[in-house]
Amino acid sequence: MKRIIYYTMITAALSLFTVSCSEDYLDTLPTDQVSAADAFTTTTNAMQALNGIHRIMYNQWRNQGEAGEGSMNINRDMLGEDLVMTSAGNGWYNNTYKWVDHRNETSSTDSYPWWVYYRIIANANMIINNIDGATGPQADKDIIKGQALVYRAWGHFNIVQLYGKRYVAGTQNTQLGVPIMLTNNFDGQPRNTVQEVYAQVEADLTQAATLLATYTRPNKSHMNLSVVRGVQARVALTKQDWTAAAAFAVQARTGYSLMTTAEYTGGFNNYTNREWMWGSTVIADQTTYFYSFFAYMSRNFSSTNIRGNPKAINRVLWNDLAFTATDVRKLNFDPTGAHTALALPSTFSKFPYTSQKFIAAGGADSRGDVVYMRAAEMLLIEAEAYARMGGRDTDAQTALNILRQARETVPANYVASTKTGQALIDEIMLNRRLELWGEGFRFTDLKRLNLPLNRNGANHNTALAVVMDVPAGDVRWEWLIPKAEVDANKQMVQNPL
Amino acid sequence: MMFVLLMVTGLFAFGQTVQITGVVTSSEDGLPLPGVTVKVQGTTIGTVTGPDGVYTLQVPREAASLEFSFIGMQNQVVSISGQTRVNVTLNPDLVAMEEVVVIAYGTAKKGSFTGAAAQIESKKIETRPIANVTQAIEGTNPGIQATSASGQPGSGQDIRIRGFGSVSASNSPLYVVDGVPYSGSISNLNSQDIESISVLKDAASSALYGNKAANGVVMITTKRGSKSRSSVQFTTTQGLSTRSIPEYERVGALAYYPLMWEADYHRQVYAATPVDPATAAQNSTNNLIARVGYNITDVANNQIVRTDGTLNPDAKILGDYAGDLDWQEPIMRQGYRGEYGLTFNGGDDKSDYYVSLGYLNEKGYVIKSDYERFTGRINVNTTPKKWMRTGLNLSGTMTESNVASSGGTSYVNPFFFTRNMGPIYPVYAHDPVTGDYLIDPATGGYIYDLGNLPGLPTRPAGASPGRHVVAETEWNDDLFKRNVLGARAYIDIMFLKNFKFTFNVASDVSAYNGASFENKTVGDGAPAGRADRENSLTTSYTINQLLNYNKTFDIHSVEVLLGHENYDYTYSYLRGFRQGQIVDGNTELVNFTTTNSLTSYTDKYRTEGYFARLNYNLAEKYFISGSYRYDGSSKFYQDTRWGGFWSVSAAWRMDAENFIKSQQWIDMLKLRSSYGAVGSDNGIDFYAWQARYNIGVNNALEPGFIQANLANEALTWESNNTFDVALEFGLLKRVTGSIEFYHRISSNLLFSVPLPLSSGISSQQQNVGTMYNQGIEARLAVDVVKKPSFRWNVDVNASTVKNEITKLPPGQTEIIQGSKKLMVGHSIYDFWLRDWYGVDPADGAALYVANIKDFTTQASNLRIINETDTVSISQNNAKYAYHGSSIPDLLGGITNTFTYKAFELSILATFQIGGEILDGTYQSLMHSGNYGNASHVDILDRWQKPGDITNVPRLDFAQQTPFTSTSDRWLVDASFFSVKNVTFSYNLPASVTQKAGMKGARVWISGENLLLLNARTGLDPQGSFAGTTDNVYTPSRIVTFGINVSL
Repeated sequence: MKRIIYYTMITAALSLFTVSCSEDYLDTLPTDQVSAADAFTTTTNAMQALNGIHRIMYNQWRNQGEAGEGSMNINRDMLGEDLVMTSAGNGWYNNTYKWVDHRNETSSTDSYPWWVYYRIIANANMIINNIDGATGPQADKDIIKGQALVYRAWGHFNIVQLYGKRYVAGTQNTQLGVPIMLTNNFDGQPRNTVQEVYAQVEADLTQAATLLATYTRPNKSHMNLSVVRGVQARVALTKQDWTAAAAFAVQARTGYSLMTTAEYTGGFNNYTNREWMWGSTVIADQTTYFYSFFAYMSRNFSSTNIRGNPKAINRVLWNDLAFTATDVRKLNFDPTGAHTALALPSTFSKFPYTSQKFIAAGGADSRGDVVYMRAAEMLLIEAEAYARMGGRDTDAQTALNILRQARETVPANYVASTKTGQALIDEIMLNRRLELWGEGFRFTDLKRLNLPLNRNGANHNTALAVVMDVPAGDVRWEWLIPKAEVDANKQMVQNPL
Repeated sequence: MMFVLLMVTGLFAFGQTVQITGVVTSSEDGLPLPGVTVKVQGTTIGTVTGPDGVYTLQVPREAASLEFSFIGMQNQVVSISGQTRVNVTLNPDLVAMEEVVVIAYGTAKKGSFTGAAAQIESKKIETRPIANVTQAIEGTNPGIQATSASGQPGSGQDIRIRGFGSVSASNSPLYVVDGVPYSGSISNLNSQDIESISVLKDAASSALYGNKAANGVVMITTKRGSKSRSSVQFTTTQGLSTRSIPEYERVGALAYYPLMWEADYHRQVYAATPVDPATAAQNSTNNLIARVGYNITDVANNQIVRTDGTLNPDAKILGDYAGDLDWQEPIMRQGYRGEYGLTFNGGDDKSDYYVSLGYLNEKGYVIKSDYERFTGRINVNTTPKKWMRTGLNLSGTMTESNVASSGGTSYVNPFFFTRNMGPIYPVYAHDPVTGDYLIDPATGGYIYDLGNLPGLPTRPAGASPGRHVVAETEWNDDLFKRNVLGARAYIDIMFLKNFKFTFNVASDVSAYNGASFENKTVGDGAPAGRADRENSLTTSYTINQLLNYNKTFDIHSVEVLLGHENYDYTYSYLRGFRQGQIVDGNTELVNFTTTNSLTSYTDKYRTEGYFARLNYNLAEKYFISGSYRYDGSSKFYQDTRWGGFWSVSAAWRMDAENFIKSQQWIDMLKLRSSYGAVGSDNGIDFYAWQARYNIGVNNALEPGFIQANLANEALTWESNNTFDVALEFGLLKRVTGSIEFYHRISSNLLFSVPLPLSSGISSQQQNVGTMYNQGIEARLAVDVVKKPSFRWNVDVNASTVKNEITKLPPGQTEIIQGSKKLMVGHSIYDFWLRDWYGVDPADGAALYVANIKDFTTQASNLRIINETDTVSISQNNAKYAYHGSSIPDLLGGITNTFTYKAFELSILATFQIGGEILDGTYQSLMHSGNYGNASHVDILDRWQKPGDITNVPRLDFAQQTPFTSTSDRWLVDASFFSVKNVTFSYNLPASVTQKAGMKGARVWISGENLLLLNARTGLDPQGSFAGTTDNVYTPSRIVTFGINVSL
């Protein structure tokens, strides 16, 4: 009897030992991620990879002040003379305004554009280099690849403008640019020359224009041919290639009409706006809270930053006689700071010349669509390019006047500009500054035109701004290469200190 | 036959004997000891104590003394000298060579154990006022380093065993509770339920947990019933807690104004276009309040600081401001701690049981921080048949805790906010003219001054305008509930004499429910209010089958273990976040209008392993042991997921040799050594080998995903190879100790290697490089005084750690990570920092040793100092260099135990000598003019005029970044001496307790974190292993009174 028990035990024991698990016991998969391989099996999946890049444009990243492209718009204007900090607020962007952060290789502001644009480029490269193997209609592949190419070009173009030396027309442009990334490469690449970077940008855009030639997009977060032309116009303008800039700008704005004056004071927060060419919409569960562009640049969102430090316009620009008193663009700023129409709560500080150009979804809701490109900019590119190329002042006046007329609230006050030469260029540039205030153009405009920063005589508080003048060509026009890049990339060369 | 003999002896003795009675108790817990052998010395006359510890013995009249003996206790001989009542307290056997150590998949006798394990007994844990038993480990044994436990009730300590085995993967030891890797929080365990904590330090003792044991193992074993001593015990402790480490020393209110004046003055006179000094001084005097916001003095705004930069001597703090500038006072309170425990335990020959119920209620010294815990445990074992044994250990824990924000620079972190709040800002709103408190007409109470109220001044950026940590702490919620269920069941089947088969099943389930709410009035929730709900369910199963073979023949003894184990871990997470509160007072998600986030996911992790162990011993003199384990992990690709881990070890009981036996002064001498390899897959993400895209990165309503990480199919186990040699000894019946050397090589280090940002991916998990940790550990316990009524025992341990990287991947000579740089020849905790040069006496500028090699530098950035030194005034241009390490030269603990009759006083102190701390918290208080931010008193040493020799640069608002950038200037000595715990206890005499119908009773008073001596007031030298500081919940000092009654 005992023996039987023993043998039963032994058999049971040994059988338990051999009860191993099935072959795939150790194969586990995440539920909130997909494998990279699956991302490009079909064009449907690849389209999702493209939508991911669209989202990068307005997603919340590492730090407050890193909400996609909107935060870069703030940074680029913060370094100019037209955006005025009214107080230190709670500290955000203070060190950008003071020209400290982009020259501090360990600051997150300095690394952010490098980080976010190369992230866009990497995601675009995954698409560009894998889309051909996906199953699905060729037309879809063209749409996906075309937009990925625009992103790659646009990313490189942004980075080279900040971290590289400026492009000088008529030279070889052999000065240091930034690494060109065409594959998903992790070894650390050397810096290409400025010329090489621009050549690659142009090549990508040219190919994108072909692939997107007939694309009809579902909404303005996607890029169609007009956006490609718009980016091409910006690139040409930066290269001081006036002929190309004008031509691309004309093609880009074809099919768009300008905002009505009523729409112009509507808060710059809706991408279905007729004039917008490219932008993102932000829905409720994609809010970026206190990271949002509107958490710093709107007048109505109740953040500590806005309550204490509403952003103002350079009063010299606002008061410039180039603008009539009834120019709608001036109405977006209040020289008294009261903004009575907004009925701001009493906790909101008031300062002269503050802006209500941008209006957030609500006092408790920092959302708002972010604009990346609109037709007015194309008119301004067209006007500037014609004015600078010489002999085309009439064409320049035409473009400028279309915009000026559209911005006039009292038609009787409108007088067409008849200026020529440098006076015309000056007027165009003043219009550009007022029209695009807060949209992130000023730093790169000063840099491409080799102009100094001059904040004197305006409403800048020297105790906050600290830096009032930066000469043209100063080393500070180049952002420092982030230390994280220098540390991990042996071939990286830092900009002059 | 024996019976007859006894009868005869008894008869013979009758009439010439005395009856002696007494109680035998244990000095450990004061409880009666049943089963103690009592003998008349030198005779066979004897008896054993009964269940109540009482004996009665007829003793020959001429007998001189009685001898008491009991396993695990020191024998004691007591002279009778005419007494008829002899009560005895037995002390535990110090040498305790028969002591059992809990090791992987079993136990071992300490005397024959070939590995390195340290054990902490229940006695050392029970009386300490700790909610998390990890706090009982520090200082008790060498080779263990710990960070301090946060003051948040329920917090534990981070432990490192024998250095730092990994770079990016976890360095934490594996926690094993009742034989099974534990997936829950250690704070789920009631410290009263703990029988012992074993710390397994070397490969020989931990290799059978091969796949998880690379950083050592902490084995926690809970109590079980004892077969012979049934008892009911009730324990309660009541205590108070306060902050243990004081705040950093900061500048007071009036002294603050001249500092900020200077920051503004220097901004102007040292600007690119300088303002002339007289004008600048006048500007600064006039604009002072424009800079700092608040004038809390009784003089005009432009009269506070004079144009020479000094404080107006007439300026006094106005009205009620004076009593309202301390921000810490309103968020702090008297902490409280109460604990209650009830246990039943007992058993008979076949079964035993242990049942416990516990309740802990701890209120931290910061408002809205508390911890309430109910615990229950049932441990039942039974042997229904000779060949079968089975048991079940069930435990349940319910926790509810309010959590204070801690760490980092969040506005809602009370420690960050109050530490950095400038000294001139009031908590409540005041009339700016009179300084009187303003009264809220609605409530009749004071009004929180949010720093930007209409009609009141605005705090500057450095003083967090629009935020108010007191109000936010009061009005916000951050709490969690956690329900935990643990089960361990086993069945042992003994067959064929020498075989035992064991089947173990264990499961731990933890349900977590986090809830937070941010109010509508102030903070991130304003003006709509928002609420967050987080639910997670963690489930882990372990199933193993063990086959044991045990055989002794002649002088040979063999033990064989074969095993197979599966581990399955599942984590499910669900979170919802909404804003727009509808009805005040209700914080459930349904009461909000807009959904900002709603997400869920499930993670799975599995391992499977096969293992074997062989122990052999020859004549209880020579011991050898070998083990092997083969493990697979779901974190690795199928071709690389299996790893083999092994160990060999040996011990030699030299005291069993004749040439030592003759040496009377040697009680015990053992030489042991081990070598083995253990692995780790800990600390990397669950799907580390796979290239993935994050889903849910949608573009409005269009589905989207983005690249998340790179594949690494070669990713595999990190391996730790440890060599260990030790000498253990017991001398003169009063000294025990050990000295031990280890060398631990970690290879294939799991490391999140930073990639160039231009690649679009920040880092990749790789197996990178090799490093070693080595050290010497010593422990010495001495009975300085050893008399029956008084004992003084000193138990000292000390250890060293040396950590060095010996190999990095080809082509990768260095990896920079924060304040550290990994390089061959350096430790992972060597600081790599800008090289601070000093302050230029000419203008007070901060100077760094310049790096002129790697940059194109403008001449204006550089200066030549002392004729030859090239220095830079730009932090970007500073040269980086190695500056010390956070690893101490020596660390250890000292326990002094005094036992006088039934009193015992035990003092645990820990110390560390050497090592550096990069004090970023101090750095932020040493700012160069961040208006509104508090200043450390060291700022008073700043440069003020040409010629000043100092190490503190001038105050200059415009130069804050270059003047206060991270450099070796912020390093401070990490040495410390700390009294961690003092416990004083008293066992009530049996005569008293028995009258009261109790078996025994004990009272004690115990205090944690009583004293700290270190280099800088306010700094916690045990903040982190990496030697960095943070604004964490400062550890609390807890003093409790306890009482334990046995029935």
